[in-house]
Amino acid sequence: MAGWRRAFRLHLRGGTVKQDLDDEIAFHVEMRTQDLIDEGMAPHAAREEALRLFGNMAGIRRQCEEIGRRRERGRHWSEVASELRQDALFALRQLRKAPAFSIVAVFTLALGIGATTAIFSLLHAVVLRPFPFPQPERIVYLWSIDRGDDHRSVAPGNFVTFRRDAKSFERLATYTGASFNLSGDGPPERVVGARVSAGYFDVFGVKPALGRVFAEAEDRPGSEQVVVLSERLWRERFGADPAVIGRSIRMNGKPYEVTGVMPASFRLRSTEPWLWTPIALSAEDETNYGYSYLHVLGRLKPGVTPEAAQAEVAGIARRLETIAPDNNQNKGAHLESYKESLLGATTRRYLILLGAVGCVLLIACVNVANLLLARSAARAREIAIRAALGAGRGRIVRQLLTESLVLALTGAAAGVAMAYGGVRFLVAISPARVPRIAEAGIDGPVLVFALAVGMASSLVFGLVPALRTARPDLQGMLKEGGRSLGAHRDWVKTGLMVTEVALALMLLVSAGLLIRSALRLQQVELGFDPAGVLTAQLSLPRGDYPEPAQVVQTLQRVVDEAGAVAGVGSAAATSIVPLSRYNTSSSLEIEGKPLEGEEQIEGNTRQISSGYFKTLGISLRGRDFTAGDRPGALRVAIVNETLARRAWPGENAVGKRLSYWTDEEENPVWHVVVGVAGDIRQQDLTEDARPEIYVPMAQASEDLWGDRDISMALVVRAAADPAALAAPVRQAVLRVDPRLPVFDVATMDQLRATWTATTRFNMLLLTALGVIGLVLAAVGIYGVIAYFVGQRTQEIGLRMALGATENRVLAMVTWQALRPVLAGLAVGVAGAAAASRVLSSLLYGVTATDPATFAGVLVVLAVAALLASWVPARRAARVDPSRALAP
Amino acid sequence: MAKMDLLQGTLDVLILKTLSWGPLHGYAVVRWIAQRTEDALRIEEGALYPALHRMEQRGWIEAEWGVSENNRRAKFYRLTDEGRRQLNAEAESWQRYADAVGRVLQTA
Repeated sequence: MAGWRRAFRLHLRGGTVKQDLDDEIAFHVEMRTQDLIDEGMAPHAAREEALRLFGNMAGIRRQCEEIGRRRERGRHWSEVASELRQDALFALRQLRKAPAFSIVAVFTLALGIGATTAIFSLLHAVVLRPFPFPQPERIVYLWSIDRGDDHRSVAPGNFVTFRRDAKSFERLATYTGASFNLSGDGPPERVVGARVSAGYFDVFGVKPALGRVFAEAEDRPGSEQVVVLSERLWRERFGADPAVIGRSIRMNGKPYEVTGVMPASFRLRSTEPWLWTPIALSAEDETNYGYSYLHVLGRLKPGVTPEAAQAEVAGIARRLETIAPDNNQNKGAHLESYKESLLGATTRRYLILLGAVGCVLLIACVNVANLLLARSAARAREIAIRAALGAGRGRIVRQLLTESLVLALTGAAAGVAMAYGGVRFLVAISPARVPRIAEAGIDGPVLVFALAVGMASSLVFGLVPALRTARPDLQGMLKEGGRSLGAHRDWVKTGLMVTEVALALMLLVSAGLLIRSALRLQQVELGFDPAGVLTAQLSLPRGDYPEPAQVVQTLQRVVDEAGAVAGVGSAAATSIVPLSRYNTSSSLEIEGKPLEGEEQIEGNTRQISSGYFKTLGISLRGRDFTAGDRPGALRVAIVNETLARRAWPGENAVGKRLSYWTDEEENPVWHVVVGVAGDIRQQDLTEDARPEIYVPMAQASEDLWGDRDISMALVVRAAADPAALAAPVRQAVLRVDPRLPVFDVATMDQLRATWTATTRFNMLLLTALGVIGLVLAAVGIYGVIAYFVGQRTQEIGLRMALGATENRVLAMVTWQALRPVLAGLAVGVAGAAAASRVLSSLLYGVTATDPATFAGVLVVLAVAALLASWVPARRAARVDPSRALAP
Repeated sequence: MAKMDLLQGTLDVLILKTLSWGPLHGYAVVRWIAQRTEDALRIEEGALYPALHRMEQRGWIEAEWGVSENNRRAKFYRLTDEGRRQLNAEAESWQRYADAVGRVLQTA
């Protein structure tokens, strides 16, 4: 109360600060004037002199007023702060007095705030945090467009043309993945690196942490044996030794000079290269417009818009049609924001998840609002007394909101503790390829977010109950002993129940759709049998195997040796393992059927050993490759069914001829089809099979391998657990050649899991959120009905005394509960239909309005609501009229 | 600026000392300082008030409206305990300062 009087006076004083000052100054001047008159000065002159002596009147007045204002402000804030502290202490006492309420409310809020904070933490770490390089929004990918696909790699000849002609870029650079066998310092090791053009690092604007990156002159054939290390490789293999700069290290059997080390921050993804060497395009490469394998990145010049740059590269792409008509007809160029490419899909996914946790938080808030409303009845007398003692409505609302704030902040603190564990869990189950996710955690911005969410929540769940509780219905309240509240129909509570049920329905429908997607994805027919298959990558650098024949022989011996390992049913070699994220493809020519433009067939190309189809369990009509399909013999091929259908519809493909490369005179090299293999999911689980051509590795080697390092994979079918064969198979390879590193050993099921990881993550998370939402909603419905029953005990007792049966009471109370539930379901179906449309990008094999999911969720929610209301309704039906009506 | 600060600090300590004899209104403080220094320190009279108000804000002095010797309404300033401590501290540091300067000048 004292605080109020002070506050009251405060307002009056606003005008008196000035008045006091005027009086004080006037007094001074008058005293001085009088003294001067007493000394014999004329009154008028005395006054003039007094003012002169006083000095700069206006300036002094301003200074004093400023001091006065500061003082008032300080006093005001300290009053507010002390009032807030009093309110908070009072609130804590109130909450301690009702421990059951407080614990339920805090726990509910902690769930909501914790889940929201955990998801925000991912969003912050992955998307919102600044990039470790300047102006990332100016970095773009340049892709080729070919037959509707606008994310095609670029041919070196095209890249060189773009780099020479495009004026929109500060820098245009290229990279292509490459792997290297490291030897020398320590055990032989296989690392994924990248071959990049000079200026690649300038595109990102990142300087090396140590040494220098390549000079232009080093990006040329003959001088390209220099290497820039990643911080990770430098630390793990070279012990973070700064003296590594200038040293020579052995890669793929050749010496490379280390020129620099990139900073640790130059690593956005776990899949980032471990080292970089110059790509050193030869003169021959620079006129190669056919073999598209380069990724091209550029940094836009300041002031150049992406649209202007897009227009320019499209123009260059049109010129390329005349420069190299064979390879560039009907092609185009497409710029894509680097950030969008890296984070676009993840951002959208996280925003959807944030929306879902937002729903959970809202349900939590609604529940707490319900609890507060129920409590407000119990506190009606206390509030009425305080109002009677002179506390205004605003003051009481403020006190109640402070209680909500204390509740919310306690919930936020508990929520942050939950989020701390939650983030680790999310990172653990997250698909590994999400950039920067490893650094997600509870840091400053995340804490600020949690605090803000807590404060906002306190308003969401506290404002309506506070306004209602503080409603000054004094006389009625005091007279009736606080029983009148809630006796009339309660629109607010009904509204809250409707909201809660609707939100829970939206969550559950989203969860249901994702569960169905995950199941569908799990059930995708691969076209081969993944169970029991082990895969391993091998690399055969030309330094060690100069002749293609040696490569083929070694591989065949590896296959034979691995096939002889105990527990191995069969083994084979292939250039590309299905689902491994690698691919090679080529334009195909069908004998006797010249196809132009859109009709042209692009086919995946695979070089395999015999036994490949048997090992993977792919169906095969015709014959498999044999030892007789050697160099010099008739060139043979096996095509998949899609290719057979496209190339020879309605005909038998076996015996037909096709080509996937041309000789030096541009004549197609014909291969005779000896078999038709079943379609398999080659890359993405969700993508239909593309045309595919398999050729025996022995025949491909002579003409196509040139002097490139050869990467092949070993596939093995195990009788039992394939993972257990990893060590024996590795040993088998080393028995053939101890220099051969075996890497990326994975079972086919593991490869498959990398494709379902995102869907699984979404599904797990939304299912968890859906369950939380369902439980909270059920608890909320229970709470409201139980309260309602408690309030109406007398009325129910009266009805029963007047002859109502138990069943009638049961029906009445349940119906009372189900009306808002039904309204909530109706609103929720509309909401879910809208929400699932947003979700559709995450779905597979199920429509966003899947009737089965909607129906199932409706049933689940209705049953939960029925149960939640039935329990208190039964209690109502057992009311003993004599007790209920006793005074 | 440095000069101004010095002046202000000086003015503060003079006011505190003046008020250490008892509550006075602003004009009386001016008169008292003038008498004591025999008008050696000519201060702009108005400058007294920002100094008084600032010290009031700091809690060194308290103000109260009262009646002056000629029955006029006037604002009286009184030294608080904190103000007295401040006066002692400042007086001491002034003394040390003066002594140090004095010693230097004597040896010269």
